[in-house]
This record gives sequence, C-alpha cells and structure tokens, in this order.
Amino acid sequence: MLKTKSKAYWLFLAPALIGLLCVVIVPMLLGLFYSFTDWNGLFFTKSVGFSNYVAAFRDSGFLNAFWFTVKYAIAVIIAVNIIGLGLALLVTQKIKGANALRTIFFMPNLIGGLILGFIWQFIFVRVFAAIGTALHIGALTGWLSNPQTGFWGLVILTIWQMSGYIMLIYIAYLEAIPREIIEAAEIDGTSPWQRFRYITFPMVAPAFTVSLFLTLSNGFKVYDQNLSLTNGGPYLSTQMLSMNIVRTAFTNNKLAYGEAKAIIFFLVVAAISLLQVYFSRKREENLS
Amino acid sequence: MKQVRQFLAIIMLSIVSIVLLSACGSNNNESSGKGVTINILQGKVENNTQFKQIAAQYEKSHPNIKVIITSVGGGSDYLGTLKTRMSAGDEPTIFSVAGPSEVSQFRTKIADVSDTKAAKLALPDTLDAVKEGKKILGLPFNLEGYGFVYNKEVFKKAGIDANQLKTYDQLLAAVKKLNAQKEKLGIKGVFSLPGQESWVMTNHLGNVFIAPDFNGNVKTAYTSKTLPLTRAKEYKRMLDLEANYSVGNVMQTDYSQQVSQYFGLHQVAMIQQGDWIYQTVAQIDPKFAKNGIGMIPIPVDGYAGKMPVGVPNYWAVNSTRPKKEQQAAKDFLDWLYTTDQGKKDVVDLLHFVPAYKGFEGMKMQDPLSESVFQHTQAKTTTGWVFNGYPVSWEADTLGPDVQKYLSKVMTWNELVTDAKQAWANLQSTK
Amino acid sequence: MSKHAKNWILGIIGLVLGLLWLFPFYLIITNSFKTPKGIFSSVIGLPVGGTFGNYTQAWAALDFIRSLFNSLTITIVSVVLICLASAMAAYAIQRNHSKISNVILMLFVAAMLIPFQSVMIPLTTIFGKVQMLNIPGLIFMYLGFGASLSIFLYQGAIAGIPEALDEAATIEGAGPGRIFFTIILPMLNPMTVTVAVLNIVWIWNDYLLPSLVLPQSGYTIPLQTFFFFGQFTKQWNLALAGLMLGILPVVVFYFFAQRWIIKSVTDGSVK
Repeated sequence: MLKTKSKAYWLFLAPALIGLLCVVIVPMLLGLFYSFTDWNGLFFTKSVGFSNYVAAFRDSGFLNAFWFTVKYAIAVIIAVNIIGLGLALLVTQKIKGANALRTIFFMPNLIGGLILGFIWQFIFVRVFAAIGTALHIGALTGWLSNPQTGFWGLVILTIWQMSGYIMLIYIAYLEAIPREIIEAAEIDGTSPWQRFRYITFPMVAPAFTVSLFLTLSNGFKVYDQNLSLTNGGPYLSTQMLSMNIVRTAFTNNKLAYGEAKAIIFFLVVAAISLLQVYFSRKREENLS
Repeated sequence: MKQVRQFLAIIMLSIVSIVLLSACGSNNNESSGKGVTINILQGKVENNTQFKQIAAQYEKSHPNIKVIITSVGGGSDYLGTLKTRMSAGDEPTIFSVAGPSEVSQFRTKIADVSDTKAAKLALPDTLDAVKEGKKILGLPFNLEGYGFVYNKEVFKKAGIDANQLKTYDQLLAAVKKLNAQKEKLGIKGVFSLPGQESWVMTNHLGNVFIAPDFNGNVKTAYTSKTLPLTRAKEYKRMLDLEANYSVGNVMQTDYSQQVSQYFGLHQVAMIQQGDWIYQTVAQIDPKFAKNGIGMIPIPVDGYAGKMPVGVPNYWAVNSTRPKKEQQAAKDFLDWLYTTDQGKKDVVDLLHFVPAYKGFEGMKMQDPLSESVFQHTQAKTTTGWVFNGYPVSWEADTLGPDVQKYLSKVMTWNELVTDAKQAWANLQSTK
Repeated sequence: MSKHAKNWILGIIGLVLGLLWLFPFYLIITNSFKTPKGIFSSVIGLPVGGTFGNYTQAWAALDFIRSLFNSLTITIVSVVLICLASAMAAYAIQRNHSKISNVILMLFVAAMLIPFQSVMIPLTTIFGKVQMLNIPGLIFMYLGFGASLSIFLYQGAIAGIPEALDEAATIEGAGPGRIFFTIILPMLNPMTVTVAVLNIVWIWNDYLLPSLVLPQSGYTIPLQTFFFFGQFTKQWNLALAGLMLGILPVVVFYFFAQRWIIKSVTDGSVK
C-alpha cells in the first residue's frame, strides 16, 4: 500500500525514527566507539583495540553476573507468562469483582522499581521472619541472607510486579476473541480445556510473542529491583548484568570497559530475542 | 496530503508550545541577572534540607549570589551523576570528592584552593588526602569518628564502665557479662552486626587494623604496592566477637535494622557505628539519642583510647568554571567555615564536627559528635585509610570476602591471601 | 461441574490472589501513618494512634503542587507524542511490505534491548551540547525510548485491520493522512489505551533518566521522593506517605481508563 518512495511513508515514520536515532542509536554508536578506547567519561587518550572485550571474557564477576542473569531471566519468563496468562483468563471470566481484580493485579506497576525493592526487602526480612518464627517454618527465616533466597526473592518480586503488566497484554488479545465463537463451541459440547487449546490459545499466540519478548528484555535489563532488594549481595552472588556494568563504569571508574560489557550484553540479548521472535512468529503462522 | 500537512502542523505547534512552556520555567531559574550562581552537587541527601537553609541564608546576606544545592542519593550513584553532568557540560561549581582516588579521577576539573582562609585553618592531617605538592585540591566537609556506640542504661545496669574497655580482653569480659544477663537487661543480643553492609566490616572495622600498617596515613595506603595486613589475627578476633554475640541473622541485617530497630529500640547493648547515626536514632527515640547513648573507641593493641577520626568528603571547586564563579565558590566555603554565622550553621544545623580551627569552646549538638570533637581536641585520634584503598578493592574483593567468611564459605586464611593478592594486582595496574 | 459452582471457585481463587497482591499495599498504607518508632516496633500491625503528620510533612517536602505539575506535564505530553508517533510509524511499517520496513521494525525492536546505562553518558553529552537538558529534552528522550515497545504493540494490532479497508477508502479518494486519522486510529483505541497505560506507569515512576536530565525546578514526584532515601538511612514514614501521594493520581487515572478500555472493546464488537 504505502510505497517506500512515497512522501507519506517517510512522514509517518519520521517522528518516531528521528527520536530513536537521536536518543538510542547515535548514543549507542558513540558508546561502541568509546568501548575501543580508554575513555573515562570525560575524555579519552588512545585506542585500545579489543582489549576491553577480551578482559570482559576473563572477568569472573562479569561471567557470574551473566549466568545469574540468565537463570533469573529463564525463571521469570516462565513464571511471569504462566501467571500473567492465568490472571488474564481469570479476570476475563464473568466473576464478581473481575474489574477490581484487574486494577489490583496491575497496581504494583504504579510504584517505581527502586521503592518496590525496598518494600519487598521489608517483607522478606521482617514479615517472613515474623511468620516463620511464629509458625516454626524454618524456610521462611533468613531470606536474602544467602544466594538461593536472594535469587528467589528477586524472582518473587518480579512475578508480583510484572504479571499484572503481562496480564494487560494478554487481556488486550483475549478480549479481541469474538464471543460467538466460544459460545458456539460451548454449545457443541467441547470441554473447557479443548476450548482453551483450540480456540483461545491460537488466538492469543501473537500475545505470546510480545509477552515473551517483553519478559525477556525486562528480565535481562533489570536493575532497580536488583539494586534495592539485594544490592548484589551476599558477596555479589545476586549481582546481575546491569549492576555489574554500572559498577564497572562508575564505582570502579572504568567507563570504556563498562561500555564494552554493555555491547556484549546487548549482542547476546539481541541474538536471543530475535531468535525468539522469529520462532514465535513461525509458530503463530503454523497455529493459525 | 493536506491532512498530513495539517497533522504535521499540529505536531510542530505542540512541540513549539512545550519549548516555550519550559523556556518560561527555566527563565525563572536563571533570572539572577548580573549576579553569580554557584551550583553545588553533593551526595549527602540526609543533609539536603539543611544545606538548602544555609544557601538561602547566604543568598540573603549576599544578594548578588545565587546558591543552588543539588543532592544526589537514593537509587542513583553520586559519581555516575557527577560524571554525567560533567560530560554534558552541565557542570557544578562545587562538588564533593571522597578521597585520593576520586581526586585523581576528576583532577583535570579541580582548582587549587590553597588561597582560601578555610584551607589555612584546616586541622593538621585533614588535608593529607587532597595535597598535591603545594596545591590543595579540596576542603574538608567535616570530621567523623566511629567506634562502639553503646546504650548507657544497659551498661550501667550490668555494672560496666564503658570508658574502662580499652583492651580486647576487657571488652571480651564485658561482652560475656552482658550476654550472661541478657534477659535481666532486657536485650536480645550484645551486638548487632549488619552483614549486608560490607563497609561496616571492611572500611570501618578493617581500617582500625589496616591503618597501623600505613601509620594511619591515607596517602601512604593509596600509594602502597602491597598490603602487609600484619594485624589480620586481631581483625578476625574482633569480627568474630561481633558476629558471635550479634542478635538475629547477621547476613540478613542491614544498616537500618542495626541502627533503627535493634539499637534504636534498645534491643542490643552496643553497635559498631559512628557519629552519623545520631539523626537516625533520634528519629526513633529522641530522648534516648540525646541522653542515653555514648561512644567508645574500638580497642586495638597499642592504640588504647584512640578513636579513628577522618574526613568523609571534601569540597572541590571546579577549575573549568569562569574565574568569577570559582571565586564566589571559594568565598562561600570560607564564609561557611570561618565566619560566626557559618560556623554556627555548621555545628547547629548540619551537626558537623568541624575539621577547622576556630571552633574551640563550641558545644556539639549531640553526644556522639561531642565525643568525636573531644577526641579531636585531645588529639587522641587515629587516621582513616579506607578512602585510600585501591579503587574497587573493597567492592570486589574484601567486601564480598568478608561476607563469604561470615557465611562460612571462605576461611579467614583464604580471605587474607585473596585480599593481599587483589591489592597487589590493583596497585600494579593502576 | 455447574457453571455456578465454577464461578464460585474462580471467585475464591480471585479473592485469595487479590489479597496476596494487595498485601504489600497494606504495608505501605498502614506504615505511612506510623511514626518512625512505630514502623520499627511492628511492621505488620495497624498504626497505634495513627497520624496524618507524615502526609502534611511529605506534602511540604515534596513541594507537591509543583512536582505534580511537572510530573503531569512530562507524562501527558510524552505519552500523547509516543502514541501518535508510534501508531503512525507502525502503520507505515505494517502497510509497506518492503525490506526497508522490516529493517526499520527490527531496529526499533533491537533498541528495546539496549541497557539504558550504556547510552546514559553519550546521550546526556549530546543533549547537553544542544542545551536540551530540560523538560522538552526529556520528553524527546521519552519519545525515543518509548517508541519501540509502542510500535511493537501497535504493529500487531494494525495487522489485524484488513487492508481492504484502506483500499476502499483510497478508491473513494482519501489520502493516507485521512485514512490513518479517520479510519485506522479510531480502530486502534483498545491498543492505544494499553500503550498509553504502559507508558504512563513507566514515565510517571521513572527516576534515573529525569535525575540526570532535569534541573531542580523541573523535578518530578519520584525525584522529590528520593530525598527521603539517603544512601543508608531511609525515612520510611515520610517516604511511604510521599509514595501514596504520588500513586494516587495514577490510580485515579487507571480506574477511569479501565472503564474506557471495557467500553471501547464492547463498542468495537458491536460494530
């Protein structure tokens, strides 16, 4: 329809594209350039070739952060999508208070990530301990004091916050399913599972693509919650990639090195996500 | 195409209106006209309100000067913000730096302040970290000191005189005594050690055992190629004591639990902290903060009764700002630390222990500051060397290692080896 | 299983989950009425002798009216621009089946994966050079950062609108501008609401970017709230009261928006 050569095509694209170029692409290219120098945030004196990149692959702190982030992202992608879809299915049923529930599940997103982390730290450390001591459940005490509970603490916080966000996206697609189809299927005597599997599921397939992508990119990029909930502790065991990059750049004053890490981080996440989008789009086509 | 043009016109209009709108906003900001504006960037959010009060006062008596205070805190990193502002050309006139490594990071932006009155009045040794030949690259904010902050009433009930705890053995005996009568004293533990805050155990506790290796001089530490750590055993002994007699789960405890909850609610006899906790305790229990607490030095062999006192931050004047602005900045700092009104604000509003001469005879506003002040006046102090630790040594090595040790996934010997090795590596590549 | 029983069970599940989700809010609300001592003596309990003092103090410390005005200006203008620009771009991409469109879409999608911290300094350096470290500059940055996700979402929704519709309109002599604004954009309403909500909550709560870009006269509510959080000390009582003050406008908005979401969806199905 819209020809590539037409003026309208470029006019429609212009505002968003100019914004993207000035705000993301150009600074990113500048960062890429800096990653090959000894830039310290104020100036640089010489080119250092790939040495920042080589150093990153030998940096055990970076590699640990990398694996921790991967583990966290996998847990979050699975849990948030299942729970988010579950919530969306629940609040689109004809039950009492469905609208109130929609608001409630989405409400955690009304608070910034830093403050959320502080509040959950309160819950894990104080409330969990209080309940654990009262009911003699050892598993509830000592949260955030070791790597395992630090990990699950981050996952739980993310589930609580992000499920409502993902729910919103699933709802947008669920509500687009025409009622008549489902009602017709009900009259035909299909089971709820059959209806979900053969009607709902294919119809929300595009939502999966979007939601998986969102959970993936947010899971990898998370910073605020990490900072305020565990601050990377104990002994850096829950330090994620963004935090490792920020600390390298600012606390340790190695900005060029931080940029190099950020570029590696970006390339890996971009590769994973593009593959994911490619395969989900393919699946979508197969399903429909 | 007509519609497209119409639409673009709407967008242009809205953009123009935003620009105009904010232009009005920023105009107010720069309406100082011919006067000079001093922009101050600092990282102590806790003192934001007080600094703003002082700025307003200064503006009143100096109508041509405008002082804008920006405090960075909460989630953002002070150094990151400072760097960003610098590189964006949105540079502060005055900013704070913590020690030699931060001075060297921003060296190209720091002006010599040896011509200020304040620099001449600064107490001996307080300028060590910022001296470069004859040049002086920063003016101390204040002095801070730390030790064991204790609950007077609990000590009294247990029959312990805090001022007699000058050696490790005396401290150990007192701790055992307190621990034996916990219930009678109404406490849940003797100490509270915040395992989540590695700086309490590495910067502060570590300092008292590392400083003797460097004669308490921060510059010596900063330039030393190796870390002798001759007092590793003593360090371990004290850390173990605090951890073993600590309330709750050490690795789950953070600063606010240690200070506000356990100490503020009288649940422990003492905590290893410094005079900066006064405001936090006062928020919980003002009477207790005012009358019920005191501070003693951490006992270290050969340094009995000496309190580690140092300068947490320095004011640096930005050398790339116009001369007039730099002079105004120096005048402001001189006013703050050398005039009667300024001095009063430093002590009464900021609760600062002064790092300058000319405050003799003044009374500090709280018992902890008073204790630091007394030690300073009596010259019974030792130095702070932790601002001279190699960059990232605490964050990447000693801090995590101490937490590993407390979590029992690393032995003390491994910690000592690792700490020394990392120190040498970092110093050789600097 | 009867429909009635099924709804009952679902209702109970919803109730339990709802309470679970609300629990942290219970903590925020109750503790916002406590004194500092009260917060540390008992986190879970109800406030003893509740006080509005925290709220009046937080109101003053936040400079609430001015911060609210700043937050509203930035959020509303940014979100309107993001929605418009993204819907337009998504329309162009979706209705043009060339390689270029694919590349541009990929560019937008890939941009979502860039960690903010890695562009932070170059970005502010560039904007500082052209004197744009202010509210308009920030709004422009939000357009750049927010466009990606919004285009991604819009693009899927536009794919669901048959192209035959455009073709019919073209035959009647409508240009692309008119087709987009009179036919496509209204049909995108449900997605616009979703896109707007997601962008609003992000921009309203954003902290790091505005902290680097805004002068103090332009401070938003989250920036002011962080004066309650020192590096180690946190004035919880004031911070929580400030948080409540800051959330309230968004909750009110979300409530109204939600009615509108449902309405627009049902309207759509009637047509």
